[in-house]
Amino acid sequence: MDQRTAFIIAIITIVALLIVFVVSFVIYMRTPAPKGCEKLKIGPKNCEDCDVEGCMIYKERHKEQKEE
Amino acid sequence: MDKIKRGQHKESFLNGILKENPLLVQILGLCPALAVTKSLETAFGMGLLFTFVLVSSNVIVSLLRKLIPEEIKTPCYIVVIATFVTIVKMFAEAFLPELYSSLGVFLSLLVVNCIVLGRSEAFAGQNGVFDSFLDGCGNGIGYTWAISLMGIIREVLGLGTLTIGKVFNFFGDPLVLPILKSTTLDSNGNPLYDFSISIFQNPAGAFIVLGLMLATMAAITNHKKAVEKAKEKAAKEAAKAELAAKAALAGGAK
Amino acid sequence: MEMIVSFILAIVSYMLIDNVVLSRFYGICSFIGVGNKVKSAFSMGLAVTFVIMMATLVCYPLYFYVLVPAGIPFLDTLVYILVIASLVQIVGLFIKKTSPSLYKTLGIYLPLITTNCAVLGVVQTNSDSQLDFLTSLANGLGTSIGFLVVIVLFACMRERMNGYNIPKAMKGVPIALIVAALMAMAFMGFGGMVG
Repeated sequence: MDQRTAFIIAIITIVALLIVFVVSFVIYMRTPAPKGCEKLKIGPKNCEDCDVEGCMIYKERHKEQKEE
Repeated sequence: MDKIKRGQHKESFLNGILKENPLLVQILGLCPALAVTKSLETAFGMGLLFTFVLVSSNVIVSLLRKLIPEEIKTPCYIVVIATFVTIVKMFAEAFLPELYSSLGVFLSLLVVNCIVLGRSEAFAGQNGVFDSFLDGCGNGIGYTWAISLMGIIREVLGLGTLTIGKVFNFFGDPLVLPILKSTTLDSNGNPLYDFSISIFQNPAGAFIVLGLMLATMAAITNHKKAVEKAKEKAAKEAAKAELAAKAALAGGAK
Repeated sequence: MEMIVSFILAIVSYMLIDNVVLSRFYGICSFIGVGNKVKSAFSMGLAVTFVIMMATLVCYPLYFYVLVPAGIPFLDTLVYILVIASLVQIVGLFIKKTSPSLYKTLGIYLPLITTNCAVLGVVQTNSDSQLDFLTSLANGLGTSIGFLVVIVLFACMRERMNGYNIPKAMKGVPIALIVAALMAMAFMGFGGMVG
C-alpha cells in the first residue's frame, strides 16, 4: 500500500469519525430521557451533595437558601 | 445579538484577570495547573500557549457563531479547539523543544481543558469578535499569572533556586537566582546554605500550594464582602439615625 | 508466563505508583467535582473505566495502522478526541435507552467524562511513548482502576468531613486539595514497589 492510498484512507476515516460524532451527539440530544429522569439536569436540586464553591450552581443555590 | 454594549469592552478584558480569574475564582483548569508548575518557566510557557489557544479559538468561534447550528455547537467547538491545539503542538515542537518535552502530554490535554471549552460556550458563542478576543486575552493572562505564581512558589520552596532562561534559551546561559539554596559550594561540595523543602516538587506539594492559594483567594473575597456589608450596614444605620433625629426635631418643634 | 508477569506488574505500577489523579494529575476536575457521594463516585469511576478501555482499543489501531502509514501522526489528538466524544455519546445513548436507574445516577456526569483528561491522557501517552499493544492495555486498565480506587476513597473521606468545623475560607475545593495532598503523600509510599 503506497502512502497516497494510506493518506486517502486516513482522511476518509477522520471524516467518518466526525460524522459518527455529530450524528451520535444529535441523536443523544434528541432522545428523550427515560421516565422519572426528565428533569435530571445539572441544576440546584441535583447538586446538593456537591461543594465546589466556584461553580455557578453552587452560588445560585446558596443565594436561594439565603433568601429562604 | 451582542450582549455586551459599547463601553464595556474594558470589562470583558479585565474580568478574567482578577474578578473572575479562571483558576483562582472559577476553579477551572486544575489539571495543568497542578502538573506543569514544577518551575516558573514551564508554567509561564504553558500559560502562553494556553492563551494562544484560548484567544484563537474564541475568535474563530465568535466569527462562526451565526453559521453554527445551535444543535451541533459543542462538536463544532471541540473540532475548532482541537485544530488550534494541534497547531500549537507543532509550533512548540519546532521552536521550543525544551518546553515541549517538559509539558509532555499536557499540551494535548488543552483540548479537554474546561476553560477553553467553557469560554467558547459561555462567551464567544454569544458575543462579538472583538469582545471575544478581549475575553480570551483577559482569561489567558489571568490563568498565566496564577500558574506562574504557583510555579515561583513551588520552585523556590522545592528547589531553593529560581532559574530564568533555561526553557526560553534565546539569551545564552540561564540565570540561577539563589534564594533558599546557595549556588556556591563549600569545601565538601555541599551548598553553603540549603533551606529547600523537596516535598514542594512532588505531587503532594502541588496540591498543598494550590489548596492554600485558593484558600487565600477565598479569604480575600470573604473579607471584601464582609467589609462591604459592614459599610452598607453603617450607611443604613446612619440614615436611620438621621431620620430619627429629624423626627425628634420635628416632634420637638411641635 | 513472563509476559503475564510483566503485564500484571505494569498494571500495578500504573495503578498505584503512577496513580492517575495523585501523581499524573489527570481527571482532577471530575475528582473534585463528583462531590462526596460514594455511590455516584463509584458509578462515575466505572463509566470512566469503560470509556478508557474502549478508547484504548479503538485508538491503538487507528494510530498505528491508519495515521502512521499515511504520514500524518500529528493529527492524533484530533482523532482521539473525536473517538472519545463519540464513545461517550454512544454509551450515554445506550444508558438512556436501556437503564433508567443507571441514567439517574450517571446522567449528569456523562458530559464530564468527555472532558475528563484521564481518557485522552491515557490514549495520548500510549502513542506518544510508542507503547506496544499489551502495555497500552495495561496502561488503560491500571489507570482506570487507579482512578476508581482513588475517587471512591476520596468520596468516603469527604463524606466523613461533612460535619467538621472547617475555616470558612478553606471550605469546598481548598480543603479537598489538602486532603488530596495527604493522599498523594500516602501513595508516595508505593514508589519503588515495582522495580
